Amino acid sequence: MPQFFLNKRLIILLVSIIILVALIGFSLSGRSKLSWPEQFIKDTTGWVQTAVSRPTHYVANFFENLKDLQNTYTENKELKSRLDELARLESEVQKLKKDNAELQEILDIKDSLSAFEPKQATVIGRNPDKWTELLIINKGTNDGIEKNMPVITANGLIGKVKSSQSFTSTVQLLSSMDPTNRISAEIQAGGESIFGFIEGYDDEKGLLMMKRIPSDAKVKKGQTVISSGKGGVFPKGLLIGKVVEVAPAEYGLTQTAYIEPGANFDDIEHVMVAKRGSIQPELEDMIDDKEEEL
Amino acid sequence: MRKFLLPILLMVFFIVESIFVELMPPKVFGNEYILVPHFLMIAIILLTVYGPKNYGVLYGFLFGLLFDIVYTEIMGIYLCLFPLVAYICYKLMKILQTNIVMVTFISIVGVALLELGAYEMNVLINRTDMTFVSYSMDRLIPTLTLNLIFIILTVYPFKRHYEKLALSLDA
Repeated sequence: MPQFFLNKRLIILLVSIIILVALIGFSLSGRSKLSWPEQFIKDTTGWVQTAVSRPTHYVANFFENLKDLQNTYTENKELKSRLDELARLESEVQKLKKDNAELQEILDIKDSLSAFEPKQATVIGRNPDKWTELLIINKGTNDGIEKNMPVITANGLIGKVKSSQSFTSTVQLLSSMDPTNRISAEIQAGGESIFGFIEGYDDEKGLLMMKRIPSDAKVKKGQTVISSGKGGVFPKGLLIGKVVEVAPAEYGLTQTAYIEPGANFDDIEHVMVAKRGSIQPELEDMIDDKEEEL
Repeated sequence: MRKFLLPILLMVFFIVESIFVELMPPKVFGNEYILVPHFLMIAIILLTVYGPKNYGVLYGFLFGLLFDIVYTEIMGIYLCLFPLVAYICYKLMKILQTNIVMVTFISIVGVALLELGAYEMNVLINRTDMTFVSYSMDRLIPTLTLNLIFIILTVYPFKRHYEKLALSLDA
């Protein structure tokens, strides 16, 4: 009789290991959509999470506001000194905007790579096991949010939508390690731009890595990095961060720049999902009419 | 009503983990430690110790699945680790005596097993490039400290609640 139980246990163990490997393989297979039971479970827990996280955030914000009040005096002084500069900048921006609009009209440009419509969303959850940095937000496909859309805060790009359900979506942060997490970016160096890819995150330094920069490009500390809009999904001009350090890459053919992200990845409450203005051709436009006639 | 109390309790810890991570300041005592709450795991371990037989493994399985679907989006890691850790703790408790100090010790061992298991899995599927040394210094030790504090604070209320539950099921 004990022999029988031993065998039964062994079989259960083996079967569960097979199921485990199959499930992990299935999850990592780069599927484009979650299966419907997963979507249903995520949406349902999303309701509960919203119900719980809203009140806790109000309480947390209240204490944060109290903390802010202590610094009000010094902050006010500093802000006043910046105000003068702001007025000058504002008039300059107005002038440039007008110029830009006029020039675009002359050249007959209708869409640009940088056009996008932002959609507000609130964070309702975060992955507690910090291996993959994922956020759950309270907007989903019902609000027009789709996979791979960029997610930004007021301070810059934070990540992209990993999957979306009807009422909630999951956002993958730039800081999570995933080989498919790659963003086409450009460094603004004076008048010209240097292109590369944001790939990976250095956990110890807390800096993003921008790879595949040509080795002859002169990247300097403090230059601003924005999304280039050439990847096809992300609009142009979303702020990513500032260059902190430049190092030659493994084989010396390219350079790697370390970038301090503009947004704080640890303290995120409100985000915007940037839906790119449609400049991609519709499928029907791409089908050649002549071929159909044949 | 009593029937639903346990799932609701575990659900609360499931959500509290996520809120804890959201509201936690990134720097604790001037160092960038990674603090990971494992409150749900602790609740499940204590359920195996004090609660009705087999409940721990069953709820470990259910909430492991939920955790994987909602939070990590990689099915299998916690689905396997939650029941496994619960089962190991169940077996250990059969050998050892059930006084409160021993239970605290077993729970922290369970949390350590879960953390190490998750680390190994993530190394295997290439989701992290942390070396073991930096992992243990920056993540494992601070995490265990945090969870030890949580265990010490909650082991007695959990004990009372679960023992009541076991009694009500026997009756």
